[in-house]
Amino acid sequence: MVNSLETPSTNARSFWRCSLLVALIWLVATCRAVAADLPVIDEGAPFDVRSAFVEPRDHVYLLSATLEVALSRAAQQALTNGVPVLLQLEFKVVRKRGWLPDVDVGSLTQRWHLSYDALTEHYLIKNESTGLQYSHESLAAALADLGSVQGLPVIDEALIQKGRRYEALLRLTASIEGGVPSALKYMMFWIDWRRSTEWYTWTLRP
Amino acid sequence: MDAPPMNAPHAVARSTPVSRARRGRWRASVMALLVLLGVVASSASLLILTGAAQDAHKLRTLQPWLLAGNLLAVMVLLLLISRKLYALVRDYRAHAPGSRLKARTVQMFSLLALAPILVTYFFSVNAINRGIDSWFDSKVSTGLEDALALSRAALSLRMREFGAHTTALASDLHSVSDYEMMSQLDRYRRIAGASELIVVSDGGRIIAASTDFASATLPALPAPEVLLQARQRQGYVSLDPAPGGGYRVIAAMPVGNGGNGETRLLVASYPVPEQLAGLADGVRAAYAQYGQHVYQRPYLKSTFTLTLTIVLLLSALGAVYGAFFWATRLVKPVQDLIEGTRAVGQGDLDLKLALPSNDELGYLVGSFNDMTKRLARARSDAEANRAAVEQERARLAVILARLSTGVISVDADFNLRTANQAASNILGVDLEAAVGSPLSTLADSEPSVAQFVSACSQHLAAGDRDWREPVPLITEHGRRELMVASTTLPADDGASAGLVIVFDDISTLLQAQRDAAWGEVARRLAHEIKNPLTPIQLSADRMRRRLLSQLDAKDAEILERGTHTIVQQVEAMRQMVNAFSEYARAPSLDLVPIDINQLVSEVTDLYRSHGSAVSSATPVSVRLELDPEAGMVLADRGRLRQVLNNLLTNAFEALEGQADAVVSIETHDVAIDGHSLVELVVVDNGPGFQSVTGGQMFDPYVTSKPKGTGLGLAIVKKIIDEHGGSIEAENTPEGGARVRALLPRDEAARGIFSMTGSRDLRRSEFRREHV
Repeated sequence: MVNSLETPSTNARSFWRCSLLVALIWLVATCRAVAADLPVIDEGAPFDVRSAFVEPRDHVYLLSATLEVALSRAAQQALTNGVPVLLQLEFKVVRKRGWLPDVDVGSLTQRWHLSYDALTEHYLIKNESTGLQYSHESLAAALADLGSVQGLPVIDEALIQKGRRYEALLRLTASIEGGVPSALKYMMFWIDWRRSTEWYTWTLRP
Repeated sequence: MDAPPMNAPHAVARSTPVSRARRGRWRASVMALLVLLGVVASSASLLILTGAAQDAHKLRTLQPWLLAGNLLAVMVLLLLISRKLYALVRDYRAHAPGSRLKARTVQMFSLLALAPILVTYFFSVNAINRGIDSWFDSKVSTGLEDALALSRAALSLRMREFGAHTTALASDLHSVSDYEMMSQLDRYRRIAGASELIVVSDGGRIIAASTDFASATLPALPAPEVLLQARQRQGYVSLDPAPGGGYRVIAAMPVGNGGNGETRLLVASYPVPEQLAGLADGVRAAYAQYGQHVYQRPYLKSTFTLTLTIVLLLSALGAVYGAFFWATRLVKPVQDLIEGTRAVGQGDLDLKLALPSNDELGYLVGSFNDMTKRLARARSDAEANRAAVEQERARLAVILARLSTGVISVDADFNLRTANQAASNILGVDLEAAVGSPLSTLADSEPSVAQFVSACSQHLAAGDRDWREPVPLITEHGRRELMVASTTLPADDGASAGLVIVFDDISTLLQAQRDAAWGEVARRLAHEIKNPLTPIQLSADRMRRRLLSQLDAKDAEILERGTHTIVQQVEAMRQMVNAFSEYARAPSLDLVPIDINQLVSEVTDLYRSHGSAVSSATPVSVRLELDPEAGMVLADRGRLRQVLNNLLTNAFEALEGQADAVVSIETHDVAIDGHSLVELVVVDNGPGFQSVTGGQMFDPYVTSKPKGTGLGLAIVKKIIDEHGGSIEAENTPEGGARVRALLPRDEAARGIFSMTGSRDLRRSEFRREHV
């Protein structure tokens, strides 16, 4: 009687244990298969806003900034494989109001596509808003060109009023999103497809 | 699903039915919500997929939603399955009915469904990975690179030409002054076929430029590193992507020293022939796309693997959930049957199981329902039968209790099974208390029962099945006649199941018969004997008167003595006949309320004064113990007086010649069965009744005295019986005789001795004790 009661119960227990083991092995294998050797953008290459300032000229504030832009191995690989790297410079001015939340006064976003031409072995920089394209023989030259922003008109002087406190913020973002199917980006939520610098801030005194 | 398992009631018993019901409702609604969510998620995924399948771009934008929907469906399925699994494990541990079958079915279904799904999954993942790898064949890659190199080689030929042109132009320009520079440049540009010619100073300043772009106001300067290279290497030629598409060749050559020793550069831009540029661009584009695909390869693999995994998860979880669903549906009727069997085992036959389907299980459930229905009908029939039998028994018991006939039944081993009240009364034993014990033990304790039992045993030993015979019962109170009839009870197997013994106390009946016979005898005697007595007496008288004077003295004396004897004997005979006629006289009572004590006093006074008339030899002292409570009794004064006369005469006659003769007369107030009676006791200290037992004492011509008619006590008994009373006679332990008579005080009490007919005092007392 005891045996006949115990045998099926033992069987069932071993069955569920086996099932659990198989499920675990399968889960580990799948994770390994999915995450195998995927390039990542963030690899510790220097990526920062070194300095930035604005100065008014002809009723417009012009931005000058020095950016340190280096691409990770993964990003470089993507670039040489023909995947464009998108660089995005975000600038905005907020009015500080003490305890109250800040007010956005104005903002500007500048985008560049950095691509590689395999035939000419040149790196091309194309400004998305102006459509102007520059080519460089080396990646270093291209990045140096990108890193030096000179006299970029960012905000109308009329928006900045005297006697008030303003803050300017600048940030650079690099991403290789263009080369990856969007579904994958959602699925592999743990992978960083983009990399941003911290917001570089300085006080703007009209 | 939450059917309480075998051990569960202890746990469940703590929660109230209301809270249980509320929890059940809540669970049900959560379940319904989950299922709805799962269905909506799956359907939405399918809909999106169907709608977007044609448009790849749309599919790409919708893919996140698809993914989210599928993941949601997976989550919902996981939740549902874990809930089912938890319930199954709980039921299994609690040994709930059907849980083992369910576990086995789920296991089997899951294995059957999961095995092909897993095999397909692993093969698909492998095949897709291999398929993707096969796209990126190394030959393709090499071919593309070769094509690119070929394009580059074709273009480099042009580059060298343009370089040579530019060098020539630069050397020509060396001698041209700044003033003529512009016009010379235009000319050179047209000759060389360049699209742009610029002369740049050391500091990167444009000294002169010529361009064929009408729109361009300012020629675009080449990048600083180009100028630097050109100066350092004494020339620079490069293929450059044109801003408007296509290619151009840029050549920068030193012009020579300017006036102030600076190194000027001639930067020339040449358009690549359109056909060549188109071809090269095609190769470049193909190479770039291939490179992008190579870059995307791991992502593609991951995407497919992930998609397949989600599909696998959905299918596998769906299959497992389906296994649970079907197992539940399969096992449900079995569980119902188990619970139904248990309920039937506990006596609940009103159960009706729902028919699950038209298959064998349905047939089984139908048979079960049929069985319970039949069982219920059989049980109700049995109940009805039992009730009918019970009712019949009750009726029989009432009849038996009211019967004056004693009825007992014994089983084959002679153990008493039933006895009615009358049986107890007749035998003078509480038979109802002795039900279940053998009659022999009862016989040991009660002599009257012993006689009865021995009479029955004789027949039983002889093998008589049905018999009827009178059985005399000698008790210490006298002889009683029982008419006993016995019948064997039939048993199922034909053997004897016992006996029914019916008996009646026919002492009274016999007595009545005897009385009637004696009455008849007396009447005839009175009639036949009395008539000739007077002529005999007269004849004797005449003979004496006529012949006495004529005879001599001797004869006269003989005659005198003879006639005297005749006359005396005739007188005695007349008295006897009168007594007989008195005995045989038809009863006609004149009942009036009489003070019994007063009557007793009157009669005894008579005896005190005339005591010597009856018994001249010795004085008899009469002692009266009259109970003042005795009071009035409904009786015929004359008859009652006769009773007292007869009893006292009897006593006085018995005491004749005895010293210290005492006759005591007592009256008492007695209550029997709630009826009021008067007890009259006459006790003497004479020799008592000799050898004649109590019952026959009252028969005519039964006497223990040497002289007496033997009718005294018979008449007393007759009168007492006529009054509805009872009488008994016995010897006292001291040696005298005692006669006890009970007289009903009123009409209501007159019936109490006639109910059983032959009830005597002893038995009445017995009954009184046990009421």
